[in-house]
Amino acid sequence: MKPDQLRKQLRKIDPGIRVSEVNGCIRLEGEVDDWQKAVKAGQAAVDRKRYLGVLNDIRLRGFEQKTILPEINDRYYDGRHCDVLIIGGGITGCAAARELAGYQLDLLLVEKGPDIASGQSSRNGGVLHTGVNFSKDSLKLKYCVRGNTMYRRLSDDLHVPYENKGQITFARTKWEMAALRYVQHTALQKGVVRTKIMTREELLKYEPSIPDWSIGGLYMGTGGITCPHKMTIALAENAAENGAEIALNTAVLSMKTENGLITEVVTNRGTIYPKAVINAAGVYADVIADMAGDRTFTIHPRIGTDLITDKKAGWMASSSLGKTPFTLSPEQLEEIPDDPVSRVKAILKNMHSHSKGIGLIHAVDGNVLIGPNADEVPDREDTSTDREISEHIIRVQQEVQPALRRSDIIAYFTGVRSPTYEEDFVVRKGIFTKNIFEAAGIQSPGLTAAPAIAADIAMWVREYLETIMDVKKNPSFDPKRKYKPVLSELTFQERDELIREHPDYGEIVCRCECISKGEILDALRSPVPVYTTDAIKRRVRCGMGRCQGGFCLPRIIEIIAEETGKQPEEIVKSSSESTHIFHKTK
Amino acid sequence: MKDKYDVIVIGAGPAGLSAALSASQNGADVLIVERENEPGGILKQCIHDGFGLHRYGEKLTGPEYAYRDITQLEETGCDAVYSAFVLDVSGHDEGWQVTLSMRSGLHTVWTKALVLATGCRERTARQVFIHGDRPSGVYTAGTVQNFINLKGWMPAKKAVILGSGDIGLIMARRLTLEGAEVLGVYEAKNRPGGLMRNIAQCLEDFNIPLYLSKTVTRTIGKHRLEAVEIMDVDDNMEPVPGTEQIIPCDTLILSVGLIPENELAESIGVRISGQTHGPLVDQNMETLKDGIFAAGNCVSVNDLADYVSENGITAGKAAASYAGQKHERELLPVKTQDGIGSCVPQYIDKNSDLSNAVLYLRSDDDYRDREILLESEGKVLLTKKMKTVHSAEIIRLEADLSGIGSELKVKLI
Repeated sequence: MKPDQLRKQLRKIDPGIRVSEVNGCIRLEGEVDDWQKAVKAGQAAVDRKRYLGVLNDIRLRGFEQKTILPEINDRYYDGRHCDVLIIGGGITGCAAARELAGYQLDLLLVEKGPDIASGQSSRNGGVLHTGVNFSKDSLKLKYCVRGNTMYRRLSDDLHVPYENKGQITFARTKWEMAALRYVQHTALQKGVVRTKIMTREELLKYEPSIPDWSIGGLYMGTGGITCPHKMTIALAENAAENGAEIALNTAVLSMKTENGLITEVVTNRGTIYPKAVINAAGVYADVIADMAGDRTFTIHPRIGTDLITDKKAGWMASSSLGKTPFTLSPEQLEEIPDDPVSRVKAILKNMHSHSKGIGLIHAVDGNVLIGPNADEVPDREDTSTDREISEHIIRVQQEVQPALRRSDIIAYFTGVRSPTYEEDFVVRKGIFTKNIFEAAGIQSPGLTAAPAIAADIAMWVREYLETIMDVKKNPSFDPKRKYKPVLSELTFQERDELIREHPDYGEIVCRCECISKGEILDALRSPVPVYTTDAIKRRVRCGMGRCQGGFCLPRIIEIIAEETGKQPEEIVKSSSESTHIFHKTK
Repeated sequence: MKDKYDVIVIGAGPAGLSAALSASQNGADVLIVERENEPGGILKQCIHDGFGLHRYGEKLTGPEYAYRDITQLEETGCDAVYSAFVLDVSGHDEGWQVTLSMRSGLHTVWTKALVLATGCRERTARQVFIHGDRPSGVYTAGTVQNFINLKGWMPAKKAVILGSGDIGLIMARRLTLEGAEVLGVYEAKNRPGGLMRNIAQCLEDFNIPLYLSKTVTRTIGKHRLEAVEIMDVDDNMEPVPGTEQIIPCDTLILSVGLIPENELAESIGVRISGQTHGPLVDQNMETLKDGIFAAGNCVSVNDLADYVSENGITAGKAAASYAGQKHERELLPVKTQDGIGSCVPQYIDKNSDLSNAVLYLRSDDDYRDREILLESEGKVLLTKKMKTVHSAEIIRLEADLSGIGSELKVKLI
């Protein structure tokens, strides 16, 4: 779009929006009374030929981002020098730390949250995407396809669940099948292998839950699932086992740059002096890039909610499945007039609705995940759930799986995605600042892509460091995470032998998920220990089952207190202010 | 612990304890298995009184009530294992094989008959579709009861209670006695869910307000709970837009229903009722699977521990008899009609003693001046006049069903 055309369009969105060009980027400023206007303006300004990216500084009137910062304020890291500072303990940051742990480098990873995987890396469905729906020249496609192939090995090395059960997009009509045939045709050109157009009967072999009204669809054999937070934690633990230091509750507040280099990074726990910095800060990646003088993009938060069913409803999906974005369900068809124009309108509405991505996912733990929707919001940290959105997700999904009941749902959560307006990853060396490496705009398929992104970033960091210092391989690097028994994976005989050696594995604490005291103690004694009840829940699933911790919470608080020598009042849910117990009884 | 028993009872709460006791007293070789480190089940944390009024004619606390069964059971010489978790039950020609996880290893034991006394669990915030943030400070009433009464930890200063079930009411009083401020009990239905005596003794005596037809829709707070959103609900229990009210508090306590725990029963193919969410049973508390008995709150949620124990006694006796000699059952269905919501048992075994069957009924609504009628093929077997009928309170009936035909009808007229 030509600049004057863009100006006209922006004026239409809101007359107060100002446009300028800064460092090869297009910058928008102004104040609007509706956040969707700000998003629309940002989307309109995308012009990858003319600009490096969109800097959307349009503010929402009356809204101020309340960033949740850690309460802790010690000077523990003050004066700390390191070779590489990794900002962000999500999957990209942790994977990068693990890659770099293969070299003799002083690595420090800082995460502002109270645990690893505090953001999107835990709040997502765990699907390993095939890449088929990303455009040919996108970084999303490149890293998704490469990352997908890395998961089997990662799962073996880190002992994290991974299943390769495929992904299915199903259709209702012949023309939808034709469209899927086209998608399949492009898949090969994109490097996505093992795709096949199947009839309904053929699909049923992979997925017994294909709805009656579907005539067939596209099966994608490389689709898989993992447990996103367990994978992220495992990467962090393995990085730590190989020498990386992980600092939780540590937020980057500002930076000092000199001659195109970051020299100081100020945190709530003191000033750190790194040689190189990796920006893997998720929803705050643009803020970090801005501190470093290297911002060429804007993150606009996009929330999505997933619902989790009881394992008893696990039969409702055995793969990851969803209808094509242009498929109308029989229920929708009943509601619209039976003429071509109305149908096309309905299809277009469908394709642009916030629920187009909603599907069923058979999660690694046997539950079914339903969702997610996609809504643009101003707040980068609002992970609250909403009744209407959840009801909507259930209604949409009942069209695919009529057996789904509200009573099957045992939990739900919201995650905030971090897309750029260009809707692609920003994975690059610093443009304006030499010692920063950007891994930004990482949203779906970010989980799939993260290992591949981390490999490239680590390579660039190493190449950069080699220009200023000697970088040697880490001879003791072990890609295998130290083994911790997962009792549900053992045979009864193996389990018996283990218990006879370590009786704590015989004592079941969490009855719904069958988790032993031994497994809880292993989590507390890990290389990245986090002594909170949420941390235990995410690591070993205590409290994730149908009672949601009602029975085991008091016992878990007791076990953490015993293990750490703390008082039960000091054991919190997650952040230091999330108290469970106020004081002893009278 | 031996390798083989006549009867294994799973769970040492009130149902399991009385089942083990009665099976022992009827000559069976019994093992009772409990996942916690001591017997008593939820009674351990119920330090309020009111237990035993029917069974013993006196008011006991939960631990006192449990202690009576425990001491008697010890005298019978019945085997008991604690901190023992049932991992698996599988059926074989000779009976059932139970695999236990204990600190000493995995153990396999055989039994001729099995009594399931696995109790119930509480419905959670997510299961009643509360949305918003996920701070600490949102607990079920039973968890809070455990915190305060067993651990001696105070998890609340300023609390809102959702649901007027008995545990919620009892915790309102308990929290007040421990110095917390209870802002109110909110109930989505248009009538209270707990026993009348608890409304009077736990709320009215302490000036704690009870709000009907209102529910909590949202929790607010990034760390610890800071407030809840309350909304009015319509006749379909759906929140009414525009009635939102924000109430600052640090704790939300949920007493929004109990769900029988039957994961084990389901794993061995025991048929579960859609009404009570527990196994379908006959008057001997035998499930539709021969040799598997069930008792207490895993069958149907009771409002009195006395009924739970009575269930257990029936199940234990029948399990002992089954272990001695199997008998062919002839099961006749119990049909509930006109105002009766559910009935335990759902079947009557015609080949067992019919002279003194006990039925536990729950009405589907509140009624006044009605009559309960048991009939079979037009023949009236029993009538009982009822001044008031509360859906929140179980009606216990003893009946002579000797005249039963092909089915039993239970109705309210």
